[in-house]
Amino acid sequence: MMEDFEPVIIAFCCHYCAYTAADMAGSQRRCYPANVRIIRVPCSGKVDVIHILKAFENGADGVYVAGCLEGDCHFKNGNIRAARRVAYARKLMESVGIEGERLEMVNLSAGMGDRFAEIAGRITEKIRKMGPNPIRNTIRPVA
Amino acid sequence: MKTADPFQTSNRVLVIGGGVGGIRTALDLAEAQKHVVLIDRANAIGGLMTLLDRTFPTNNCDLCTISPTLSESSRSQYIELMPLTQVTRLSGEEGNFSAQLTTAPRYIDLSRCTACGECHKQFPECVNFNPGLDHRAPTCMRYPQATPQAFSIDMSRCSDPKALADCCPAHAIILDDRQTQSEFQIGAVVMAPGASVFDPAAIDSFSYGRDPDVITSLEYERIMSASGPTQGRLMCPSDGRTPEKIAWIQCVGSRGMQKGAVSYCSGVCCMFALKEAIVTKERFQDSIEASIFYMDMRTFGKDYELYYERSRKDYGVRFVRSRPHSVFRKNGQGQLTVTFASEDSSTMNEETFDLVVLATGFQIGAETRQLAETLGITLNPHGFAQTGAFDPVATSRPGVYACGMFESPKDIPETMTQASAAACRASAHLPAPEALPESEDEQTSERDVTDEEPRIGVFICDCGESIGAVVHVPELAAFAAKLPGVALAESVGHGCSRESMSRIQEAIAEHKLNRVVIGGCSPRTHESRFQDVLQRAGLNKYLLEIANLRDQDAWVHLDHPDKANAKARQLIWSAVMSVKKAHALADNYLPINRDVLVVGGGVAGMTAALRLADQGFRVFLAERRSMLGGTANLVHRTLEGDDVQAFVSDLRQKVMSHLKIQVIFNAFIVDHSGMPGMYTTGMQVGPQMFYRQIRHGVTILATGALPRRPDGYLLGQHDAVMTQLDADALIDEAPEKIKAWDTVVMIQCVGSRQPDNPNCSRVCCQAAVKNALRILEQNPETRIFILYRDMRTYGFQEDYYLKAREKGVIFVRYEPASPPVVRAAANQIEVAFTDPVLGRSVMVTADALLLSTGFISDDESTEDLAMIFKIPRTSDGYFLEDHIKLRPVDFSKPGFYMAGTAHAPKNIRESIAQAEASAARAMTMLSRENINLGAATARVDSQKCAACLICVRACPFGVPFINADGYSEIDPAKCHGCGVCAAECPAKAIQLMQFEDDQILSKVSSLLERMVA
Repeated sequence: MMEDFEPVIIAFCCHYCAYTAADMAGSQRRCYPANVRIIRVPCSGKVDVIHILKAFENGADGVYVAGCLEGDCHFKNGNIRAARRVAYARKLMESVGIEGERLEMVNLSAGMGDRFAEIAGRITEKIRKMGPNPIRNTIRPVA
Repeated sequence: MKTADPFQTSNRVLVIGGGVGGIRTALDLAEAQKHVVLIDRANAIGGLMTLLDRTFPTNNCDLCTISPTLSESSRSQYIELMPLTQVTRLSGEEGNFSAQLTTAPRYIDLSRCTACGECHKQFPECVNFNPGLDHRAPTCMRYPQATPQAFSIDMSRCSDPKALADCCPAHAIILDDRQTQSEFQIGAVVMAPGASVFDPAAIDSFSYGRDPDVITSLEYERIMSASGPTQGRLMCPSDGRTPEKIAWIQCVGSRGMQKGAVSYCSGVCCMFALKEAIVTKERFQDSIEASIFYMDMRTFGKDYELYYERSRKDYGVRFVRSRPHSVFRKNGQGQLTVTFASEDSSTMNEETFDLVVLATGFQIGAETRQLAETLGITLNPHGFAQTGAFDPVATSRPGVYACGMFESPKDIPETMTQASAAACRASAHLPAPEALPESEDEQTSERDVTDEEPRIGVFICDCGESIGAVVHVPELAAFAAKLPGVALAESVGHGCSRESMSRIQEAIAEHKLNRVVIGGCSPRTHESRFQDVLQRAGLNKYLLEIANLRDQDAWVHLDHPDKANAKARQLIWSAVMSVKKAHALADNYLPINRDVLVVGGGVAGMTAALRLADQGFRVFLAERRSMLGGTANLVHRTLEGDDVQAFVSDLRQKVMSHLKIQVIFNAFIVDHSGMPGMYTTGMQVGPQMFYRQIRHGVTILATGALPRRPDGYLLGQHDAVMTQLDADALIDEAPEKIKAWDTVVMIQCVGSRQPDNPNCSRVCCQAAVKNALRILEQNPETRIFILYRDMRTYGFQEDYYLKAREKGVIFVRYEPASPPVVRAAANQIEVAFTDPVLGRSVMVTADALLLSTGFISDDESTEDLAMIFKIPRTSDGYFLEDHIKLRPVDFSKPGFYMAGTAHAPKNIRESIAQAEASAARAMTMLSRENINLGAATARVDSQKCAACLICVRACPFGVPFINADGYSEIDPAKCHGCGVCAAECPAKAIQLMQFEDDQILSKVSSLLERMVA
């Protein structure tokens, strides 16, 4: 049954770097697993702990926040704040019995299409090995 | 509703060259509502910068910094972009030129081409993404973000044109495309054709072109680049192994000596090599040994010295002061051998490296020389544009300006500065803009949809095969049609084509749609185009959502079409759910006050004031002293021999008599308030210190730096010791004293490049060479010693350095650890120093000791002004620009610009260029009625705000404050729109417009819902 498991992963991507890198992966035709679904944000610092927790509550098997390389944030330090929030959210997850490793912060620049694809692949595989988000059992599918 | 064709009169500027310089000029002019024709020989704009991997000193990726600029320039309604185009004739005179432009055939219909890359895929042997390392042509798009986003074909290289034409799904290839000619009436010309890179194949001893592991620094950029031939993997071209030892060889093709080399300094290669060495260690492996072979390390730009220090101390880059003799591969060896003489001995050393990078300099190519001839402008002896001594961008032909590399070798920030300066000068030849007829877009009134039930229109592009080959578009449209709230769903082929756009516009009216979802490519590139469609259809432009089906679905999951289709449904579903929550937003506008405040009445402040006043703006020029001129009052001659005092008094005269300029002497700024375009600044004025307020839309800070007078070396204690500035005056005022000097010693870097003033003062090497040559003019027999650390006579200043050496000036290097020792000997000075070539101490008795004391920031005044205006400074007290690379005259605070030595040390000519640039940047703001601040700003719900101060602390820009009513207030004019406050607010009292929580959360939930479809 585990082999059939296709995780669903939400990636919050900063408009200035990761989202652009994702487009770049496209123009280079760098394939990565379709499990990753991207939400564009103006800055990784916009990603709220609530957004992350809601994603898990709604059944995401993994979430990652992708911001600019450290020191390159368009808004000075949004990515540093994002990293802190991710660390905090992991603690909250642990406390309710969801593995903290399901959540990650990654940094990359707009030119790194390859890296984007690599990260998407790596995280998908990691989550696939971890199995479904334990919360999922309580969710009913919607038409 | 076109009234008068604006193109019939000479109210346009022709900009030649679409590199960063030409783009900057075009954008500055366009933002100031002047029409521009931007031409480039190449098939896309971008120039040299788009080939770079990262730029110094931030080591940022280039494409991310420049690509918004590139698309910005293609979008602007004032810019007509003509790639593959050259000027073939220019007649007439300033203000009324006639230019003949010749456009080469592209063989591609740009209105049809979707940049799908199918031709590239099918004819891979014909595609060239990597100039320099891959010489294949003919269909060529140099970098993924190229503008216009299309390919071009070199028919002469194509073996089967018909097959190539047939492979295009958009039928965009036109085999019988022809060269065309057009005639334009223009007011001024700006030349920004750039320079070309020296080809080191001419130098036999470096094995370039024969050994694959000897490459140029530009080729090394391509190897490091993520979009380069190795996809950013560092490897030796010979066998693909990772290099362990890399050598950079400086001054290849510059500073004389080698075959085909030029005598000047190319100015940027030192920083270029430092950056490559640092990035190599930072990004690849710290264990890679990086060695730089150099003559003088010329890190004279703003904060560049710190970068140099970091490369040594933090990254362990090794510096070898030697000019290598040869690079070759011994038989059967895996590594290359570099032979070089060390400075302290005459022995030849050998060392092996895996990769050798040649830091090649810049030259002006034959095509650009031809262009200069066509335009009838004079070139200097090196083939660069001859420009005015105190008019840095004016060529010999009135109305024709030059900027960037074509003016002299320079880096990107200086190119940007000159490009803006050229925009300033060129716009003076255009008639003042009449009130333009409102464009149709703005006349359409917006429909209020607040109370309407959502009626969503979903339009799905197939983008030719790009989406259509993977995603089943008709099925997807059928799926979308069944989603709640969707009134219409259909496929639109190429959604961004003119036909589809008008179809969408009609459909909005016909079906009374009040929300739109586009399933297509990236919102990054196409959002604004679809926003325009909504506006034309009378909908607020923010009632739009784009599902990225191409770049982030079809293209990356083409190996699993079933999964790509499932994901496409999910993306459309999510876009539909999210757009339901969208509501109309208004861009924030503020009206503009068109008066200008210039602070500082030196050459930079006066120049900026004059340029703006000449174009009709009222300028207040506040000077804290009772005289204009600043530091330039102390300088008599430039290195080139031009009369500074004559220039300054002429400038002063023009400023004082200008009807539009009000000079306020003895003015001390004391307070400041307001928003961009409507500032109020208070100052205390005159001997009585009367308080006076000025209202103004923009501010230019040109407050200068201070000539340094540090203690030490007996300065101020002995009559024979003086600064270069003192000597410069003495040579003019008392030449008989100079004639009596038998021996003169000069010491460089006194008070610069040391802990209390860590940067290079930039001007002192040229000042020393200048004074040495002027002393020799008075008395050719004088013995002159210049004790230096690195001679930084960048660009054409190298000519004067060479001339000084030819005339017998002795240059001796000293180490900062053992500086020269100075002792008084009656009315003479004894100077003891170590000669590194002779390897022994030398004692010279001098009649004069000239100290090159450079600049230090005017810390006290920049600190006060920084506090009053809320603007940032560098750690050494200079003003900090918004972007060190691309926005060198703008402050991060809108409507604030800087010029002259308050920004960083620079010479008079460079200050003038920056002053003109600040005027151009100011005009971009002053020519508008209002300023558009966008809609993505944070809003506080005062009912929820608990005034906890978290947002106040979290905002990276210090915008939120607790207002008189006791809740947080965020000024939309200052908000940058990052959303950090919204994410941090514990009461969720703050929402970032366009990215509100309910929109994000509906995306989260809809992307996660397991659909039965």
